[in-house]
Amino acid sequence: MKSSTFTRASLSSILQPAFSPRPISGRPITCSAVAPKPQTPLHLRPPSFRATLSELQKWHIWAKNKASSVGSTFLDLDNGPESTLLHRELNWLVEDALEQPALLSRNNYDDATPVSVRARLDDLYDLWKQRIDERRPFQYVVGCEHWRDLVLSVEEGVLIPRPETEMILDLVEESVTQNAGLKNGLWADLGTGSGALAIGVARVIGSGRGRVVASDLSPIAVAVASYNVRRYNLQERVDVRLGSWFEPLNDVNEELSGLVSNPPYIPTENIEGLQAEVCKHEPRLALDGGENGMSDLIHLCNGAASMLRPGGFFAFETNGEVQSELLVDYMDSKVKGSFFDVNIASDFAGIRRFVTGYRA
Amino acid sequence: MGNGGGRFWRLNHCVMVAACRKLHSHTISRRINVCRPPNYNRSQLPFVKETTLLRRYFSSSAETAQSQPELSLDLINIMDQKLAAIENRNSFLQAIVNQPDASPEQYSTANKELKKLRHTVELVTEMRKKHKEIEGLKLLLTESQDDKDMHQMASEELGQASEEEKRIRHSLLKSLLPKDDADERDCILEVRAGTGGEEASLFAMDIFKMYEKYSQKKGWKFEVLDVAESDLKGYKEASAAISGADVYGKLKFESGVHRVQRVPVTEKSGRVHTSAVSVVILPQADQVDVHLKNEDLKIDTYRSGGSGGQHANTTNSAVRVTHVPTGLTVNIQDERSQHMNKAKALKLLCAKLYEIERARADASRSRLRTEQIGSGDRSERIRTYNFPQGRVTDHRVGITTHSIDGLMQGENLDTFVDALLLQQEMDAIASFTSTKH
Repeated sequence: MKSSTFTRASLSSILQPAFSPRPISGRPITCSAVAPKPQTPLHLRPPSFRATLSELQKWHIWAKNKASSVGSTFLDLDNGPESTLLHRELNWLVEDALEQPALLSRNNYDDATPVSVRARLDDLYDLWKQRIDERRPFQYVVGCEHWRDLVLSVEEGVLIPRPETEMILDLVEESVTQNAGLKNGLWADLGTGSGALAIGVARVIGSGRGRVVASDLSPIAVAVASYNVRRYNLQERVDVRLGSWFEPLNDVNEELSGLVSNPPYIPTENIEGLQAEVCKHEPRLALDGGENGMSDLIHLCNGAASMLRPGGFFAFETNGEVQSELLVDYMDSKVKGSFFDVNIASDFAGIRRFVTGYRA
Repeated sequence: MGNGGGRFWRLNHCVMVAACRKLHSHTISRRINVCRPPNYNRSQLPFVKETTLLRRYFSSSAETAQSQPELSLDLINIMDQKLAAIENRNSFLQAIVNQPDASPEQYSTANKELKKLRHTVELVTEMRKKHKEIEGLKLLLTESQDDKDMHQMASEELGQASEEEKRIRHSLLKSLLPKDDADERDCILEVRAGTGGEEASLFAMDIFKMYEKYSQKKGWKFEVLDVAESDLKGYKEASAAISGADVYGKLKFESGVHRVQRVPVTEKSGRVHTSAVSVVILPQADQVDVHLKNEDLKIDTYRSGGSGGQHANTTNSAVRVTHVPTGLTVNIQDERSQHMNKAKALKLLCAKLYEIERARADASRSRLRTEQIGSGDRSERIRTYNFPQGRVTDHRVGITTHSIDGLMQGENLDTFVDALLLQQEMDAIASFTSTKH
């Protein structure tokens, strides 16, 4: 069982998504019999493996040296992580893998005390080798991402939620504070990936009548998002559906109170130049926004104009400066009159990244 | 250990023992006048060694159940004056509240003040009842001279009632003493290595872990905020948020310079070195307490150098929060999500802003108050840890504990905390008797 976990990591770069990016049929695609089974994050696995304290300390020293040997080579190469960051990640790997991480700092190196671990000693070596030698993202290595106040399961095939995207929830919170009525309606998170925004929105709109519907084209994403929704006990309020953008919502009768999305927005030609963690391991499906990076944003904009109820709120994440402005221009010209109070919000790095507004 | 009744018994003993000490004479003599038992005679008191003082703090409850110390007549007179004033105030406020045509503001203001006075007023009522009971029993005593059994019973009951009256008086005294509202709050702990290089950093780490273990023993939540490590993996600086009941009130005395004397691990020739670590304890505050507005905050995050967002996969979610009006900056980086780093940074920022406000308020207080324990002079050397001799001394109360290892494991810190709380009460009584109402 263990070996299958790691062959998946290398297979994912070869596997194509089961469905083409733009399905022609109008029917929502239902889950097939081979629904992928989501993997359990490392920190949730039972500590049923044993290693001696000295074996673990030996591994720890080896891993620390490996991290130190990187220096700033990745940083210089493609803006990747440098050693300080890798050391911090190693601490987190230890936290997730060991039941009692503090044991590692004991000084007796001959200690034959058996220690409970959530993975085999061999796997710990493999995992760190994957991190450093293959630039496999840390979040895939431990199987989870800490995002906002959540811990979300992630694996190959699912985009790792970015810290910037946390701000969408702040924007949603502001909006429902000023328009309390929006809390009781149906919200949509399209291209949900791990379910981050869907879960976040459900928690912001509270335990009243509000509901969330989330969609994603990737069966793996749907499986992982559903797993995360269940972990937060939100399965009654968040519905995850397989399909392309608005199509799985065809049977929804009411208009949406809110619409959020972090759609793929990187121009195709830029992807190869990105840091290895992203371009070699994260799903292209979640990153590639077409030639100018805006295809999906435009599609969402059109959908918002017809699916949002009057006064309904939307928030989209973009590439930053240019895309935000292009999107606002599109709203003012091609779908003029559809929206009001359109605004561009900056992230903490000062990049104008989020387009928000209300349906007229 | 550490309950109201027991503490006042120890108050008496602390006073008597402190009188014998050759140290700290100027502060002690002022306090002796306040709480002198009627038959107090300094020459009669035995000399008490430092270590036996510890045994007195751990006295069994059997001893504390007996006699309460007497309060001096001066103190009782002053208390009665203040209590009479409070009773008058209470009646006045009750009249307002009972007026049918009182305005909503009048009503709510009066009500707020009534709430604050309620505890004291209840105690006064209890005390007056007790006085009546005592009067009745005294009468019974004089009238039952012939009836031995009745006389015996009345005598016993009178004894009990007198004890209870003293207990009520002590509770009353406590309710009248000036209190620090911040005592109930959670706190932020900051530890900084001072002079002594690597050795100071190593000791800073030891002290930080001491507080962590102490917090765990107390059932408090200890949340590390930030750690800056030295080359030898000591802590140049470390901070934590400690949450639980009345945490600030207990830990506030830890603020100051802690001095350590020991042979450093790096030392080849076995010489003892002296180094210092500074500890700061801040009460926690939230954004409402410090009137923090989002417009006043500037938030910076680590920029991956590219466009960020989907372009980058980074685990660095470090946050720097700057409070623009004061220029205060807080950096937090070790949480796994940006949201959590930001939350911690705001917690720390609010605590620092709150401290600035409190310091400003303190500066306008009387000289007496600022001389008292816990007034937070951060550069004061408050404690010395001598490892070769295995002892730790707190210089403010002149107490030494000989179980240094236990202390570093978080076990015996209560020895100091209780003594310091006691000293704080004595200071409060002194201030109480010297201010006119």
